[in-house]
Amino acid sequence: MKRFVLPLFAGILFLILQTTLLSFLPIQRVRPDILLIFTLYLTFLLPPILGGILAMSLGYLMDLFSGNALGFYTFSRPLLFFAAYFFKERFYLEGFSSQFLFAFVFGMLEGVLILFLLNALQPVSLGNLYPMLFTFLLPQSFFTGLVAPVLFFLFQKVSSPLFRQPEQGIKERA
Amino acid sequence: MRIRGLFLFRRYSLPIFIVLLLLFALVLMSMRAKQRKGVELFDALLMEISFPFQKAATLVIKTVQGTFQHYVFLVNLEKENRMLKEKIAQLQEENHRMKEMKLANERLRQLLQFREKNSPSMIGAEVIGRDPSSWFKSVTIDKGEKDGVKKGMAVISPTGAIGQVLKIAPHYATVLLITDYNSAVDCVVERSRAKAIVEGKGENRCQLKYLLRAEEVAVGDVVVTSGLGGNFPKGLMVGEVKKVDKKGHGVFQYAELVPSVDMTRLEEVFVITESLQPAHPPEEKGRKGKKTKK
Repeated sequence: MKRFVLPLFAGILFLILQTTLLSFLPIQRVRPDILLIFTLYLTFLLPPILGGILAMSLGYLMDLFSGNALGFYTFSRPLLFFAAYFFKERFYLEGFSSQFLFAFVFGMLEGVLILFLLNALQPVSLGNLYPMLFTFLLPQSFFTGLVAPVLFFLFQKVSSPLFRQPEQGIKERA
Repeated sequence: MRIRGLFLFRRYSLPIFIVLLLLFALVLMSMRAKQRKGVELFDALLMEISFPFQKAATLVIKTVQGTFQHYVFLVNLEKENRMLKEKIAQLQEENHRMKEMKLANERLRQLLQFREKNSPSMIGAEVIGRDPSSWFKSVTIDKGEKDGVKKGMAVISPTGAIGQVLKIAPHYATVLLITDYNSAVDCVVERSRAKAIVEGKGENRCQLKYLLRAEEVAVGDVVVTSGLGGNFPKGLMVGEVKKVDKKGHGVFQYAELVPSVDMTRLEEVFVITESLQPAHPPEEKGRKGKKTKK
């Protein structure tokens, strides 16, 4: 129970920070997605079933706070979680650059997925949204990637005493 | 056979779970698409629980921001002048607070005048949060169903249209801004009376859709609401045309619009609780030849 509730509360806290503190940033384009970083970190912290449910819950909450009427994040976040879960072994996640790359790649992947869903599921065509990949998605994913190593470090510091288990966390795994 | 079935289930339990979870997410998406039946009550409950935290966080952030702006930056001063400078800082803070109060007072007076001038059936609300994702453009306000806010109601400010209520909880609501891709508002170009639909383009930009090629539209033209949607009052400023493109073939021309309201700096807004269209027939008549007051 603790393994679900505590990360859920942490996720809600990050979501609130994202809607308040980060929205005060003057340039919205570089606003990092800390909830995405947290979802990626969950792949090291939780088993796939629990983590998947938690990722979906956080995606649902994100949809609730957002102007997104269809609920793309309820779908994209668990999908991203499982993708990260199965591919995390392929990343050497010790250094800054690998952690940056990990968050950057999954940030881009989610963006492409949302863009695809936006184009595919809208009843009315939204026009050509694909230039946004370069003007908006790339800088945002870049900054999400930049923030990721710092947040991974902090998450690890906080979660290690709470979830004392070997084989978990970035450092222990290596 | 049964044992074999159990063995297969255990072996594939994770893939089965993943598929079921993603299917469930897709079902939720389709429920939302169909007028969000079934999830509405749950959404409202979750919103009601989480938005007070959002409100508190906004308050804390504003206070901390204020402290940083007014006090912390003055700490690194010379020691011998500390007392004096602290006094100056205090006075500056007081002065700043008074200026802030004056500005807030002016802003609220302006809002009040606007409300009295337009309609009494408006509710003032404060913006307490913004969209967590950068893809969509929405804000959260501190008024909800209990205050008379309903889905689809128009949200405006003295400087123009802001958006429409998308989701409601008893004491909070989410407003879809006109700059969001999913937003569409029926409008007219004030000068030429050309009809068009204003759709969001993200990042404080909109576009005019279904604007006939034959219509005369120029850069700088003011676009106002037509009142045909039933939510927005007629003649409310939406924005100014920044770009017109008649290139290519087709029935329509393309125009880009900058909203009259800076959506990144929203603080207080009004929710129109009833359609203003029938309530102001004389104003509509008088406005036909005139330009909207800024």
